[in-house]
Amino acid sequence: MLSKPLTVLVTVALILSAQTPPPAKPPASVRKPAAAPAKPAPKPTAKPALPAATSAKDDEKFAQRIAKLWSLQPVSKPEVPQGVTASTNPIDAFIADKWREKGLKPVGPADKATLLRRVTYSLTGLPPTPAEQDAFLADASPDAFHKVVDRLLASDQHGVRWARHWLDVLRYTDADAGMPAANGIYYWRDWVISALNKDMPYDEFVRAQLLGSRYKEHTTVTATGYRVRVPGPQEDTFALGFLSRASLTGDDKEQELSLNTVETVSTAFMGMTVGCAKCHDHKFDPIRQRDFYAMKAIFDPLVVKTVPLATPAEIFLNGKLVEEYRKKKEPVDAAIEKMIAAYRERLYAERVAELPTDVQAVIKKAERLRTPAEQKIADDYYPILRIDPSKIKEVMSPEEVKAYNALIKQQNDLPKPPGLASFVTVEEDSERLKQTTYILDTGDPAHPMKDKPVQPGFPFQSSSVDFREGRREGFADWLTANDNPLFARVAVNRIWAWHFGEGLHRNTSDFGVLGSTPTNQKLLDYLAAEFVAHNYNMKWLHRLIVTSDTYKLASQADPAITAANIQADARNSYLWHFRLERLDAEPIWDTILSMAGDLDDTVGGKSFSILKPDPKRKDPPSTDPTNRRAAYMRRGYIPSTDVMANFLQVWDVDDGRTPCPIRTQTVTAPQALFSMNDELVEKETARFADRVLKEANGDVKSAVTLAFRYAVGRAPAASEMDRALTYLDSSPDRMKGFSWLLVNLDEFIFVR
Amino acid sequence: MTDLKKLYPCGKVGRRRFLYQTAGGFLGTAISSLFAAENDAGGKLSAARLPGEPKAKSVIYLFMCGGVSHIDTFDPKDNKFAGKLMDAVGFGDNLAEMKRPVIPCLRTFKQYGQSGIPVSDWFPNIGGVIDDIAVVRSMYCHQTNHFPAVLEHATGKPLRQFEHPSLGSWINYALGTANKDLPAFVNIGRPSSPVQLTGGYLGASYAATPFQSGDVPIPDLLPPSSASRAERDRQMQLLSELNRQFRDDYALESDIAARVKAYELAANMMLKAPAIVSFDKEPDHVKEMYGIGEKETDDFGRQLLLARRLVENNVRFIQICHAGGGNGSWDAHDDMRTHGPLCRAIDKPIAGLIKDLKQRGMLDSTLVVFTSEFGRTPWSQNTKGRDHNGLGFSSWLAGGGVKGGIVEGATDEVGYKAVESPHYISDLQSTVLNQLGLNYKKMDFVLNGRPFHLVEEGGGPITKILS
Repeated sequence: MLSKPLTVLVTVALILSAQTPPPAKPPASVRKPAAAPAKPAPKPTAKPALPAATSAKDDEKFAQRIAKLWSLQPVSKPEVPQGVTASTNPIDAFIADKWREKGLKPVGPADKATLLRRVTYSLTGLPPTPAEQDAFLADASPDAFHKVVDRLLASDQHGVRWARHWLDVLRYTDADAGMPAANGIYYWRDWVISALNKDMPYDEFVRAQLLGSRYKEHTTVTATGYRVRVPGPQEDTFALGFLSRASLTGDDKEQELSLNTVETVSTAFMGMTVGCAKCHDHKFDPIRQRDFYAMKAIFDPLVVKTVPLATPAEIFLNGKLVEEYRKKKEPVDAAIEKMIAAYRERLYAERVAELPTDVQAVIKKAERLRTPAEQKIADDYYPILRIDPSKIKEVMSPEEVKAYNALIKQQNDLPKPPGLASFVTVEEDSERLKQTTYILDTGDPAHPMKDKPVQPGFPFQSSSVDFREGRREGFADWLTANDNPLFARVAVNRIWAWHFGEGLHRNTSDFGVLGSTPTNQKLLDYLAAEFVAHNYNMKWLHRLIVTSDTYKLASQADPAITAANIQADARNSYLWHFRLERLDAEPIWDTILSMAGDLDDTVGGKSFSILKPDPKRKDPPSTDPTNRRAAYMRRGYIPSTDVMANFLQVWDVDDGRTPCPIRTQTVTAPQALFSMNDELVEKETARFADRVLKEANGDVKSAVTLAFRYAVGRAPAASEMDRALTYLDSSPDRMKGFSWLLVNLDEFIFVR
Repeated sequence: MTDLKKLYPCGKVGRRRFLYQTAGGFLGTAISSLFAAENDAGGKLSAARLPGEPKAKSVIYLFMCGGVSHIDTFDPKDNKFAGKLMDAVGFGDNLAEMKRPVIPCLRTFKQYGQSGIPVSDWFPNIGGVIDDIAVVRSMYCHQTNHFPAVLEHATGKPLRQFEHPSLGSWINYALGTANKDLPAFVNIGRPSSPVQLTGGYLGASYAATPFQSGDVPIPDLLPPSSASRAERDRQMQLLSELNRQFRDDYALESDIAARVKAYELAANMMLKAPAIVSFDKEPDHVKEMYGIGEKETDDFGRQLLLARRLVENNVRFIQICHAGGGNGSWDAHDDMRTHGPLCRAIDKPIAGLIKDLKQRGMLDSTLVVFTSEFGRTPWSQNTKGRDHNGLGFSSWLAGGGVKGGIVEGATDEVGYKAVESPHYISDLQSTVLNQLGLNYKKMDFVLNGRPFHLVEEGGGPITKILS
């Protein structure tokens, strides 16, 4: 696995060093850059004019930028405002203080049913069951809501929902053009689910994805006095899917692994858009082009590596199956080869004979004797010299073609043994470690600027950095340090945004100059400081947020309060009411299935697809069950074929090619078409109707109540019941139509 | 009813717009953008409008995936160089300098129409309408391999530093939609790459909406067969009653207003789109013009007839990708003869489209563009086929204020490089924008503090072919 990338790499390096003489006379007229006709060769984009060693004046400019940017100032925990609220939750004090400052009047609290539905979707992405509704509504104790929150945070489904949020930012995808890690990438997704469920501290969550199980490696001294390395938990190797996902080719020729990783890491964990610095110093933020490539150098030594995951018994069994397959296949292969060998040799010889003599000489040389430049020539001619069966068939007689096709069919019909499970991870390559990272002209890996080498490092850091433990270790230490002003701020702001639909700092992935400033920096800083003090405990933060009075406010604002607040805060930046939020794609899918009693909520496993097979390709239809949570629904992007089901596209799911900080929430006609006409809705609402009728023992009125509670988490009002009964006209047959209607209700797709 | 605009001058609408722009636009959300909730009828770039009435109302953009050989179609060359070795550059990541043999062109050319422009025997029908066509023989681009060249073509940028939007989405963004029942930017056929569909940083709402030719152009357009129309009416009645309280409670939320509109639009679509895409009312002689019903031309003919029907319904930009997926079937390295079936598949439908538009008086206001990402080399890789050639190739335009029956520019005597009035690939885009009444220089989008344009290189509209 490893040797191949290396040869390529060495070849490329040799080519780049431009010291190898060309094989024949170099034709002077055809240098590539002069390609554009009759015009001076245009550069693709504006040429950066930046020396790697920057001037003192520049240093000062960037130092000033660092000093001025709010998000780069140390987090100091603000005092909790006193006397502004009766609540003991500090969040409420900071929020109430803003209300006071802005002269805002908050709405009242949401009712219990609304609150239960809100928090259940918030923490697990699922609707509350009628039993859960009964329990909460009947519980008059002061800690009734806390009990609900504890139950939800302890549920395995919590990790399934929140993994989706994080994986959106971290660019999870099941498929990307040529992505070597595609097989087994879901182990990374499952690792994220598991990490969140077991409440892994956020700093470890990030460190594990940069370092794998090494993040927890430590040295200990045995009883007999030996120093030994104790490895971290093995499962944390799956966290490295985060890094291996970034690679788009086996040999990483375009250096996507490091280029993509710099962008994702800085966006996701630092809230900084460093993309601009790929080509030039950032125009506003204190990030220089040099910083971008210094970060890139941290990940440059990485190569992807496949790790088998099968048990020894599986490997033995597989060996046996492969052997049996081979035995059956060999005679067929031999028969085919016998038919075509002579043709292939003849055609090949003819092709070679057509080549110019200097090229022929190169082709006839043994591969190990070719110079790199000669190898390049040979590679260029490879597609022409490859004699495919289609070309051979052209020269065969019709009878031979028939016999050949029969053999091919026989070969294809042999049942192939299933592959063994594997996972693609990353590891540092010792050859790559020795190589220098250069600033790339316009970010193009084919154009390294040899006069601009860079050392590993990261932005905002002028002094020396400790990389003795390794580049990624040094970087992870810096990134996750308690005094990194961005690390905790960015994280708590994301979690806040996923609860409230908007962050305390609105632009959750841009804490730079153009990202503006937070609406409530004191609260943000307080939460960041407390997050660190609570050892980056994410469930602690969830609990603090959802048990605040702020979270429990009604979403509906009556006209009088609205009129009073509209001048000071029309867009509800200061949270005087809860924001109405459209459900994401996954909760919509999960709810439709769970209402019908059809949702399989088994945690983890292979992704499933609901796409119909492309008729132009001969893939067999998928037999994977599709009644699982939509968090496992296949997503991604391949140029030549569809990956994302229409369902995901319609409901605003991204394909994982860029970090998605927060889902777009459109409200569109194709969504209405889905809710009205999709066969999933048709099928599941029929089953839902059967279910509620059965559970209501055929009583239509009870069935209506139950249907409302499954669909929107509350019992119907009297007027709603009247209307429903008029429609149903005591006919259980109409229950299906009524179920369809509930899925199309506005209230169904909004969390109030 | 409260005046929403007064109460929420920069409320939720603004936030969603903001999210579109920060989250970027991806193919993943393309379909959801079929109708942006906001009213975009007027477009976003009124400052970029050129004075006067635009020449073209709609564009049909025919993109041949993989690279059509200009030498074998619209740019005939003397075969006197055949068999000679010439200096050449390999494509893609292998930029080896080498000598390559020029191969003969096996086509015969005939002069057509009053203009006498020669067209090869692969396109006899297009030859028949050549007096409506302006052939640009001097196109060039920088990239030499498929994906980068398609990217350069679609976005005007040879590298992908940001999520650059495609031509169609820029038009959608600048002009908005002229028919609120249909999207402004439609794609038909599998593209070479999703970048040809993307709205990029303009937002997913400006991306292409993929249409299929057939009864169901977009997913879920028709109710399942088990649903009854009478029952649906009753359900919709109750639905609106049960929604009333919620809609009153949240009357100030623009999402709710959008939801009302979404259902109205969906209902309009269900009612109107099937008729728009149906060919039932098309007379046989029209279908015949497009080659519908003939084996080789049926697929493409249907796509072009659908395109004409979309133009009639004021869709602004219809992109039709032929033989896409992977490198594209026009990629004839091995044997030029593989162009044959592809040419036959498009020749009659394209000529039929131009004639049909003309007989309906629609050609003057409909710009038809024919291009691929690059052309093909005069030399081969020692095969019977041709390599990629971005240094010189042909595109053509018809209708929409373009002069017919003229040739612009020229390649050198073997057809390798554009030497006379060379036009960078973006000149094609700025011509399209110009005919739609847009000043390409004023079409910008500010991202991270920097203004980006679709056209950032080249000589602007190809004025010599404009009437």
